[in-house]
Amino acid sequence: MSIIASTGILNHVDGSSEFESHSTKVVCSVTGPIEPKARQELPTQLALEIIVRPAKGVPNTREKLIEDKLRGVLTPLIARYLYPRRLCQITFQVMEAGEPELEFSQRELSCCINAAVLALVDSGIGLLAMASSVPLAIIKGQLVVDPNAQQLQESQSVHTLALEITESGKNVQNILLLDSTGAFTQNELFQILSQGEERCLTLVQELRKVLGDRINSEIIRTKT
Amino acid sequence: MSRFEIYSPEGLRVDGRRWNELRRFDCSINTHSHAADGSSYLEQGNNKIITLVKGPKEPSLRSQMDPTKALLKVSVNITKFSKTERSKTSHKNERRVLEIQTALTRTFNKNVMLHIYPRTLIDIEIHVLQQDGGLVGTLINGITLALIDAGIAMFDYISGVSVGLYDTTPLLEVNSLEENVMSSVTLGVVGKTEKLSLLLVEDKIPLDRLESVLAIGIAGAHRVRELMDSELRKRAEKRVANSTN
Amino acid sequence: MAKDIEFSTSENKFILDALRQNLRLDGRSFDQFRDVDIKFGKEYGDVTVTMGKTKIHCRISCQIAQPYEDRPFEGLFLISTETSPMAGPQFENGNSTGEDEVLCVRIIEKAVRRSGALDVEGLCIVAGSKCWAIRADVHFLDCDGGLLDASCIAVMTALLHFKKPDITVLGDRVTVHPTDEREPVPLGILHIPICVTFSFFNPQDTEENIKGDSNAEIAIIDANLKEELLRDGTLTVTLNKNREVVQVSKAGGLPMDALSLMENCYKAYTITEKLTDQILACVKEDDSKRNQYAGLLSSENARDAT
Repeated sequence: MSIIASTGILNHVDGSSEFESHSTKVVCSVTGPIEPKARQELPTQLALEIIVRPAKGVPNTREKLIEDKLRGVLTPLIARYLYPRRLCQITFQVMEAGEPELEFSQRELSCCINAAVLALVDSGIGLLAMASSVPLAIIKGQLVVDPNAQQLQESQSVHTLALEITESGKNVQNILLLDSTGAFTQNELFQILSQGEERCLTLVQELRKVLGDRINSEIIRTKT
Repeated sequence: MSRFEIYSPEGLRVDGRRWNELRRFDCSINTHSHAADGSSYLEQGNNKIITLVKGPKEPSLRSQMDPTKALLKVSVNITKFSKTERSKTSHKNERRVLEIQTALTRTFNKNVMLHIYPRTLIDIEIHVLQQDGGLVGTLINGITLALIDAGIAMFDYISGVSVGLYDTTPLLEVNSLEENVMSSVTLGVVGKTEKLSLLLVEDKIPLDRLESVLAIGIAGAHRVRELMDSELRKRAEKRVANSTN
Repeated sequence: MAKDIEFSTSENKFILDALRQNLRLDGRSFDQFRDVDIKFGKEYGDVTVTMGKTKIHCRISCQIAQPYEDRPFEGLFLISTETSPMAGPQFENGNSTGEDEVLCVRIIEKAVRRSGALDVEGLCIVAGSKCWAIRADVHFLDCDGGLLDASCIAVMTALLHFKKPDITVLGDRVTVHPTDEREPVPLGILHIPICVTFSFFNPQDTEENIKGDSNAEIAIIDANLKEELLRDGTLTVTLNKNREVVQVSKAGGLPMDALSLMENCYKAYTITEKLTDQILACVKEDDSKRNQYAGLLSSENARDAT
């Protein structure tokens, strides 16, 4: 498992994070709660503005699709009822895609989810649960967790799994996202769920460690 | 390279001027007295522009109202037929035009006494009928004239002029033929001072030549100021004579 | 800008009063540029520039395209600078029609593209039908003033760092060799323009500024965000190491004496020299890190020094 993550890297936003796994690297920033534009405002809940910007070129439908999936994952995580008529801007900048952009978006999507969780915690916006996400691929009937760019290209089907995790990262509460493309069997899908769950649980521990380390380094504890 | 000799050994330019000569400068004010509060028509060489100043007036949008000072808005309309070859697309919303508008607004923001017209909008509209190099300088002169015609308080004249650099010779007021083959500098000079409100260099110029280019530019701008001033005084005398009759 | 940032009157007054006493809040002197930190990513042409609290990422990419009909011998070069709220809530996503954004984009365009910093003729593959299209994507990650200066450094460093795949042309057939098969080739960079931005403040009243001879206006180099919001005028000078002025933009603002503007240009030159050397050293260091085994693997015979 090779992730590199850090939080609080940007100065002019409320929360920020950087998440790197293999050669995929994403920076996420969270600003909020702030005053929304009239058309964004929701009378009872926090409105979310999610923006994904690619490493190369201008954002197009591919990024819009990622944004849409991210919205589906992040909406149930945030305690939106706490901030009625407010707005939260969540911006993602892909620094390195780490996969062929024309065919795949799994690696970027799962890195975005992990980065968003870190940045949201950093921003201090109320969350209902933690989450983590992992990309998976099936190559010749074999399941590969967290495939790299080459493995993605050899695969028959690719999947992104995101889980809602509670109780100090021990209990899987819900499946937030299971996004699959390609041909696969029912058995393979069950295998994806069980192995993905395992990886998500270890990943969330690592995310908790990143956050814990940061808090420990920032807070000076004095003996009373 | 070209059929033209940009600067002949005898010291003559394409249009027969010497290096330190301005182009023909014909201006008149109050040309559109029914359409606007202040207006001017300016011909600087083959640049021909109409400037209309409307205001100080009540802003149509609430967001344009500033309780402490007036808001200055400049819009430049470069017509499709302003060059020899008709342009297919409208120049509106081109980045270059947006940049010129911003530069002009910021130039006059510091020179118009905006604080004595709070809660108002001063709307400046420029129509470029024909262009032949050194456009930004001409636009500055047009606005200065029209603002004076509108009776809007300013600290001083701002006069604009462009200077090209051919090898090592600075050429005052470039036309479009010259502008295309050499780098040019646009200056906006405040009154008779040596203060620059606007300075734009768009192409490569040796750093050590810049000073001489600025010097001739400032001298040229002062001359432009005199030309504008004499026209305005002539006009004013005529008005005084009419009103006493 | 979507939402204007506003500071309290007392904070504004404090900053301006400090400037009148020759002090800046971050402890720099008036003509001190912030330290520039340049970091490279894994791939060629991936650069992050940090200047104080300003952070900019630039990514170069290339693909084969068709050249413009009127310029069959030239490749394409595009610089894209789109804003996102990541740099600060005052920026709107993808909306670059604000005054400051337009000026910023135009100046980068003039400084890098129009000045011919990149040799576009070297991008031609088959005249009239195939050429390289180079694209520089500038991402503003964090904005604490000096976006323009930092972007220019980022774009130039990334262009120097970038390498495009090698190609073979046989008649009309073009073969692109993958980077692991043949060593990629760098771009042709003709000169390195560096932008230096000055911010002007007027300590007296407006009339003294326009009519007076005191020339007491304050000019500071590389303003941070707060100073940028308070300034009365700005001047961006772009120079290269050959003592050439590539671009100067003083789009209105506080009228400044011509001589003091010239002085600023000379000050900018010393900064340009320093930054150019730093950029070249960084690129060279990264290159030797990537190719530390190149000497061992090289099949070239040692040549006589004579």
